[in-house]
Parts: sequence; C-alpha cells; structure tokens
Amino acid sequence: MNDTVKLDGEFVTLRLMRVDDAALTFSWRQAARARLLNAGAANVEQQAAWIASRPGSEYNFIIELKDGRAIGMLSLVGINKINRHAETGRFLIGDEEAAKGVPAAVEAMKLLYEFAFDKLDLIRLHGTVASGNPLMVKWQKYLGMKEEGRMRSHYFIDGKWQDAVVLGLLADEARTQSFPRMNALIAAARRSHA
Amino acid sequence: MLNKEAVLEIILRALQNLNDELGDDEKFEAGPNTPLFGPNATLDSLALVSVIVDVEGDVSTALGRSISLTDDRAMSQEISPFDDVQTLLNYIMILVNEG
Repeated sequence: MNDTVKLDGEFVTLRLMRVDDAALTFSWRQAARARLLNAGAANVEQQAAWIASRPGSEYNFIIELKDGRAIGMLSLVGINKINRHAETGRFLIGDEEAAKGVPAAVEAMKLLYEFAFDKLDLIRLHGTVASGNPLMVKWQKYLGMKEEGRMRSHYFIDGKWQDAVVLGLLADEARTQSFPRMNALIAAARRSHA
Repeated sequence: MLNKEAVLEIILRALQNLNDELGDDEKFEAGPNTPLFGPNATLDSLALVSVIVDVEGDVSTALGRSISLTDDRAMSQEISPFDDVQTLLNYIMILVNEG
C-alpha cells in the first residue's frame, strides 16, 4: 500500500522510513526533546526490529532536507477508510541544529495533512500530546488542531504521570486555518533564504 | 498606545517563555538582537510558533484588537518579520501604529 510514497515540499521531503534508519532514529530518541515522547526501543537492534515490523497500513516517514540530510520523523497510522480518519504521531525533529531557520516541522506536517486529506481523502486527523509538552500543544493548536479532551494520567513520561491532550483536525479546518498559517511560515523562510 | 519599548518587552518575554520550556541543552541567549528564523537562526519552526503565539496574544491584549503575524500582509513584507528581534519589532510597530 505504501511502498512508493514520497512527499516533496520546498524545504523538506518525506520519504518512508527504512530499517537502515534504525541507528539514526534511535539516536534521535535519546535526545533531550524526545524525553517527552512515549518510551521507545532500548537499543538499535530493537529499533530496527520495530521498523521492520511496521504494518503496510502505516506511513512512517523520515523528514529529509533538500540536501538529503535526515532530520526527523513523522507518521500517519490508524487509517480507517470507512470512517475516513487517521492518527498523526511519532513526530520528532531529531536534528534540531539542522532545522534552525528552516520550516521543516511546519512543512513536514503540511505535507502529511495534504497527503491525508487530498490523496487519502480522509476527513479527520487526530493525535495526542503529553500535557508536559506545552510547546507541542501550542504548536499544534496554532496550526489548526483543536483540543477535544484529555485522557487523564495516560502517559508515564519524564518520571511522572501526564495527561494525554487529545487534538483533532477536520479537512476543512486544515484548508481554511492550517494551510494559510503554514504557508506564511514557509514564505517567511523562503524570503530569509533568498 | 503601545510604544516600542513595551513591544520589545513582549517579544523578550515570549523568548524567555520559550527558554523556560526548552531543555538545558536547547536554551539560547534572548536579547534585542537575537536572530530568530532568518540567517544564523536561533529557532526552528516549532520554537518560532511558540514565540508567535505569545507575541500575538500579548500585543492583541495590550492593543485591545487582534493582530496576526502570519497573514498575507506579513508574508508580503520585503524583509521577513521573523528574521530577528528587530525585524519582528519593526513589523509589529507598523501594525500598532495603524490603530
């Protein structure tokens, strides 16, 4: 289902994750920012096994800059073609230095939204963010996601129980709210890089 | 009417808020000349959005009307408002002075 998908943007490309990304993605998971994500693999071998075991129904992307450097990851999972919804997740900018001044996170999410709503014809995306990650909650909301509720004490992250903030986005909200703001941030970076 | 010093204070407070949320190895020096999202950028787009949200909110509250830093007008500026603290300050002052 997903073996040929590649999403091209102006600053980044999303290509499917491969087993040989195991060492790099594992190293990202050890970084400071990743402390706010769910616990991942304990070593590179486990990470490789996890990648190899991903079902064909998932889209697990690597975010690459245009020079080919892999800087992060992002996934679309739980795709339900009857109810036309899916879950975004596993979102991490692993190489933070390479992402400075580049709208990598914004464009990567825009490419994922376009893929979900325009190619897969979904009408709704949802995801959860740990309540101890207010930067990500703020970011997702500014770019169109709506808070739909909380699952209390859902995650044990960073040494404490945290709520899962449930966020959702409908296709028309993406087109009227998310994409204009995403395009503005991409345009700002374009001018700065000109 | 907001003056330039008050707007600068809002921007620096947003940068400080961001610093408070970042891990120890991600913190940066926030000041009137800090590069933001342009050349020699300090911020990635995750961090930039945090600053935009805080600044838009605080300036809008102080002005009593909403401002947007990511609308068509912001996009059409010859110099990106997000290059550094000074370009952001100058762009906000344009919006403030229109009131």
